[in-house]
Amino acid sequence: MSDKAPPPPAAGAPKGAGGGDRNYKRSWKNLLINKKYQLQFTLFMVGLSTLLMAGLGIWVMKVANETTTVSMASVRGTPCPKVPPFVESAAPEEEAAPVPMKLPEPDGRVPEPTETPAAAAGSGSAAAEESRVRTKVVMDESSMMMIPTVIKVPEDFGQKVVARWTCELRLGGAINSLESGRLLILYVLIGTGLLLVVGLAFYGIKMTHKVAGPLFKVSLYLGKMQQGRFDKVWNLRKGDQLIDFYEHFKTAHTGVVTMEKADIAKIKAVIAAAEHTGAGEHATIVELREILARKEKAIE
Amino acid sequence: MSDPTAATGVPANAPRPRYKRKLSNYLLDKKLQLRYVLLVTILSGVIAGALGYLIYQQKRAASESIERDLQSLTQADASQEDFQEHVASGLESEDRALVYKMAGVGIGLVVILSLYLLIMTHKVAGPLYKVSMYFDRMAVGRLGVVTPLRQGDMLQDFYLNFKDMHDAVRARAQADASALEKALETLRDSKNQADYRGEARAKMDEALDELDKHLTERKKQLA
Repeated sequence: MSDKAPPPPAAGAPKGAGGGDRNYKRSWKNLLINKKYQLQFTLFMVGLSTLLMAGLGIWVMKVANETTTVSMASVRGTPCPKVPPFVESAAPEEEAAPVPMKLPEPDGRVPEPTETPAAAAGSGSAAAEESRVRTKVVMDESSMMMIPTVIKVPEDFGQKVVARWTCELRLGGAINSLESGRLLILYVLIGTGLLLVVGLAFYGIKMTHKVAGPLFKVSLYLGKMQQGRFDKVWNLRKGDQLIDFYEHFKTAHTGVVTMEKADIAKIKAVIAAAEHTGAGEHATIVELREILARKEKAIE
Repeated sequence: MSDPTAATGVPANAPRPRYKRKLSNYLLDKKLQLRYVLLVTILSGVIAGALGYLIYQQKRAASESIERDLQSLTQADASQEDFQEHVASGLESEDRALVYKMAGVGIGLVVILSLYLLIMTHKVAGPLYKVSMYFDRMAVGRLGVVTPLRQGDMLQDFYLNFKDMHDAVRARAQADASALEKALETLRDSKNQADYRGEARAKMDEALDELDKHLTERKKQLA
């Protein structure tokens, strides 16, 4: 228990034991009255919840990771429509005839293909014989034929390309969504855990305060009783626990006050009888008056 | 319920009998103890239930995803239907086993936690119960000897405050009784020496007799 000063008595309050009401509001500054008791219970509650949240949270994340992995694999395995390939085909003869490839003459004239490639190769070898020092290859003729081809685009090519990439994007989005779902679970778990810990710590201290409060109040009265002061016992605040216990304390307090009152009555009777006999100033009677004064002061 | 203050009337130097905790006495202050036990148990149950449901949901989602994929893979092949059903039922029974496992862990947790909290709160309710018994005795003017708490009890500081108060009140009552006894003897002697007569003497006799009775009663209460 802390050694805080007792609350001052209300002005004009009735004297004597037996209860009464005083409006002491709870203050957050006084929440921790009995640190040992309150923190022990609160920390147990908070620690247990943290352990539970952490243990089960790890389990949740493990399963969530598995689920995400499975779902991602499933998404990746979803087939998307294929884009049809281009079809290359030779143009029909009526559309385009093969065009022989001819090298232009030095004067710019295109020679007619009069010789076969083999013959052309023979004339070329004669020229190479003449110029051994510096080989000069002159290609004056080629038989390469350029045949124009036509690339055939399927009729629904555009739609299929759009469908393909829409599907790819949708799958990418689904994977991202799964990943963000997994992260969301993690954040929700962490957030809930933190909220729970903070909330429980506050609630635990507040709840135990309702038990520690009455104990603190009783402790203050016990201190007074120890010093021989049996002044008025006030009621507990609304919402306080240990009401039955407090009632026991009040009956005990009343019992001690009754004992004191009984002593006072007997002493008063003896003093009165002694005064009647004229022995009012007897040393024992003086001593009895002192005891009487102390006892009367004690129950004020 | 056993009386924890049964030793109150025992002389101070007599050996104190050891009071053991009994299972039947664990719920001393039902309101206080059950409130805390229920709060922590319900809270743990809610956390375990919510996270357990989340685990089951995730697990089920994974199983359903696998089942769906397998179904689409084996759709074309009728011979694979048995295999698909076998896998699906396997996954379902795995999920069910997970639910049973979690329910078992949850129930075990609640039971162990409740018992533990019952014992823990008993360590608070016990001292309060004992002090309440002493309060009841004080209410009828009985101020016997206060015995210490059992090992492991909480609220030791509070109990020490109570014991100090009880001892102080008892010591003061004993001192007062001794002083009054001495005064009674002195007044009786002086009454015999002085020659009180008539009503004054009768009143004095009556007052001293009353004080004598009162002191006899008080001594019994302080024994």
